[in-house]
Amino acid sequence: MSPLLEVDDLVKHYPVRKGLFGARKVVRAVDGVSFTIGKGEVVGLVGESGSGKTTVGRAVLRLIEPTSGAVRFEGQDVLTADPATLRALRRRMQIVFQDPYGSLNPRKRVEDLIGEAYDIHGIAAGSERRDRVGELLRLVGLPAEHMRRFPHEFSGGQRQRIGIARAIALDPTFIVADEPVSALDVSIQGQVLNLLADLQERLGLAMLFISHDLSVIEYVSNRVIVMYLGRVMEIAPSRALYSRPRHPYTEALLSAAPVAEPGAKQKRIILKGDLPSRTDPPSGCVFRTRCPYAIADCAAVVPPLRSVGTDHQTACIREDIL
Amino acid sequence: MTSAFDLAFLRRIGWPLAAVCLILLVAVLAPLLAPHDPIRMDVVNRLGTPNWLHPLGQDEYGRDILSRLVYGARVSLSVALLSATIAACIGIVAGLIGGYFGGVSELLTLRVVDIVLCFPPMLLALLVVTMLGPGMETLTLVLSILFIPGFARVTYGEVLSTKNQEYVEATRALGAGSARILFGAILPNIVGPILVQFSLTVASAIVLESGLSFLGLGVVPPAPSWGLMIRGARGYMEQAPMGLLWPCLALVLTIWSINQLCDSFRDAVDPRSGGSTRGFWTNLRAVLGMSSRAAPSGAVAPEVVLAVEGLKTRIVTPTGVVRAVDDVSFQVRRGETVAVVGESGSGKSMTGLSIMGLLPQPAGRVIGGSVRLATKDGRIVELTDLDEPALRKIRGEQVAMIFQEPMTSLNPVHKVGTQIVEAIQAHRAMDNAAAQARAKALLEHVGIPDPARCLGEFPHQLSGGMRQRAMIAMALSCEPKLLIADEPTTALDVTIQAQILELLRALQREHPGSMSVMFVTHNLGVVAEMADRVLVMYAGQIVEEADVATIFARPRHPYTRGLLDSVPKPSHAADTDASARRRLATIPGTVPNLALDRVGCAFAPRCAMALDACRQGDPPLVDVGGGRRSRCLRWSEL
Repeated sequence: MSPLLEVDDLVKHYPVRKGLFGARKVVRAVDGVSFTIGKGEVVGLVGESGSGKTTVGRAVLRLIEPTSGAVRFEGQDVLTADPATLRALRRRMQIVFQDPYGSLNPRKRVEDLIGEAYDIHGIAAGSERRDRVGELLRLVGLPAEHMRRFPHEFSGGQRQRIGIARAIALDPTFIVADEPVSALDVSIQGQVLNLLADLQERLGLAMLFISHDLSVIEYVSNRVIVMYLGRVMEIAPSRALYSRPRHPYTEALLSAAPVAEPGAKQKRIILKGDLPSRTDPPSGCVFRTRCPYAIADCAAVVPPLRSVGTDHQTACIREDIL
Repeated sequence: MTSAFDLAFLRRIGWPLAAVCLILLVAVLAPLLAPHDPIRMDVVNRLGTPNWLHPLGQDEYGRDILSRLVYGARVSLSVALLSATIAACIGIVAGLIGGYFGGVSELLTLRVVDIVLCFPPMLLALLVVTMLGPGMETLTLVLSILFIPGFARVTYGEVLSTKNQEYVEATRALGAGSARILFGAILPNIVGPILVQFSLTVASAIVLESGLSFLGLGVVPPAPSWGLMIRGARGYMEQAPMGLLWPCLALVLTIWSINQLCDSFRDAVDPRSGGSTRGFWTNLRAVLGMSSRAAPSGAVAPEVVLAVEGLKTRIVTPTGVVRAVDDVSFQVRRGETVAVVGESGSGKSMTGLSIMGLLPQPAGRVIGGSVRLATKDGRIVELTDLDEPALRKIRGEQVAMIFQEPMTSLNPVHKVGTQIVEAIQAHRAMDNAAAQARAKALLEHVGIPDPARCLGEFPHQLSGGMRQRAMIAMALSCEPKLLIADEPTTALDVTIQAQILELLRALQREHPGSMSVMFVTHNLGVVAEMADRVLVMYAGQIVEEADVATIFARPRHPYTRGLLDSVPKPSHAADTDASARRRLATIPGTVPNLALDRVGCAFAPRCAMALDACRQGDPPLVDVGGGRRSRCLRWSEL
């Protein structure tokens, strides 16, 4: 069975110029990323700021135009699709944003925010549209009467629910969830995560779940992709990744996250230094400048993903560690 | 749209609308209202003083000033409104297209606009008038061209900042075309600045019309216009100064009404605007009346650095008064790290800001309670009694603060070194060289790899982690007794957060007992790692206090328990079935609105254990033994 979504060697470079007469350079936001997502599968995409995870999510939906690479959704090429095909594709692939304040048009009532999806595709109007919006609101746990309100009348968690309702309005088969709970308080975060998990199960959605928080990713994902500086470091089934990370960066990331248990962590890997410059990344493995296991060979070639278990791949040349 | 909405809408734009309508009505009904023919001369009675027949008197040709004023409104208003509208339509479309599509259309829009801007208005007017001859149509055309760049520029700038908003992207993700995005998602959100531009344009169009007519480039005499009236009145200013007053007064009133209308219209179309400045001042007066200071009870124990008692802070908003901090009492002992944990709106940051006297002004007020600080020289100082200069001596020297985003607390236009030197010299008599050396030592101390270079850099040249280190160096510059850290690692990546937490721990280890830390955070993982003692805040109150091991092991308040349960924890995945989806425990409902009055426990509406008693009286923060406190009636059952 072919996968629902195939991403092949995705690259996004942004040209930048430092100063008035500075040399032109490129920021390598995403540098050769490949992965697949099966039907109904939830894939977590984790990385720190500057890892390119958000760019991947946007490029997959073609909300930004990638520099090169290929994205196929249900066998159809997304990046070369003409406007009409793209419009049809967008009924089946949707996005939930991070910022519950910025992602809802403040001038529109909830009814129109969600109903716009039906207007664009000419699906429902009038009372049918109203019924459908009410149904969606109930589905995400909000009273249908709230559809006459404006976004600012809701709390952050409720707004995120509205954003989710908008994303599932067109019955998509695939959703990019871009840090959907990062801006929420812990007690609300759980509510939204549970809602996403429920909907995913009920509607059989495939999902690319982007987050910087490994513990959140663990809750929702079947498989996890770890990114660093525009490249994939490790891809593994959740269970394998959390029980035995095979890439030094994943190991450090897991160990750096503070755990809500006093005295739980005895040994911790604290990475030295900062993220390298994105216009001038290190040669070979981009992680080697901060890696505790780095050797001279790491600078030589970009390490390819190598298989270390069932569905488990790591981009580290050292086979003698971890 | 319901009629209730329309009424509310009309009420909000109220009198400015009425005033503008009145002026328009006068212009439209000029033939009915004007007592005389505006161009009929009566040379015998030139410069006649006001009388029953001519209420405003007569001008230099004996024409009735009132009639000319009324008819003049027609010319002035139609020229101004017409040219502003034409300019707005063309300018907005050009700005939208240029800003949204970029590339060639952007270049074209901006260059054309630049060329028009290069023309001095008078020169353009002279050019067009020589080509087309003077008159109202010419005038409207000239003014329209002149005002297009303003609209295009404003629209263009607003589109640039709006088009990258997530809601615009969301509309695109739904499959919307460019027209829908431009006119449905972007335009309604940039209408505010455009309305302001419109009101300014109408005003300057009226003034320019008067000016051009005054120079003889606009309306041709004897047709009445306010500009021509001013021009005429200038000649006999010394004999009849009142002749000049009337058209000027008409100009001022009209422009003022239009400005007011556009402003209130802008507010009325924005669903978010609510409340008024007047509401704010009324609420502020009410809060100032609330202030009551009770003397703190008892002396401060020798090991205590900070003693807060019954602290009450209010934040005034136009629509109400927020009880940001509500009767908060706690102590920080020497060398201890106290974590203040809570969700957004719990009052944790406001507690820190109240202690430092850094509340937003004039909205934030401490209306009760006491904050006592043990200074380095052994005095006990009541911080709430101090005025701003006295507080400034305390800040930095005795108590320092670091914030979530160091970029907002470091001055972007000064070098890092200059700022640290300034911080040192504010409290220490040190010459520049010595202060420089100390700054360098501090930066080295906080683990900045190349301190000499860092001193010469601007804050934006440093990474987030380095900025936070520089901020910590600055905070430590005078060896404060207490450091208030307000979410210092929230904006940082986990690997960098680990570095900063390690740094803070190392600094405290270095001189045990010298510095206490009040650590404000929402992250329970950080609390577990950093704190000796924990204060849990909810709705402006402390709901539980205990040492860190106890509170995580056995919370004595349902909110604390709910909070701990809702943190996703590592599952040690090997022993769980990955296919079975785990559900996160959550706390139902949302945080209460602190501007509303409340009876009973603030957490009761979200609490599974709430009893009738919980909803009736505010539960007190009771000592539950072992130095623990809980604000729950049923703590013993937990």
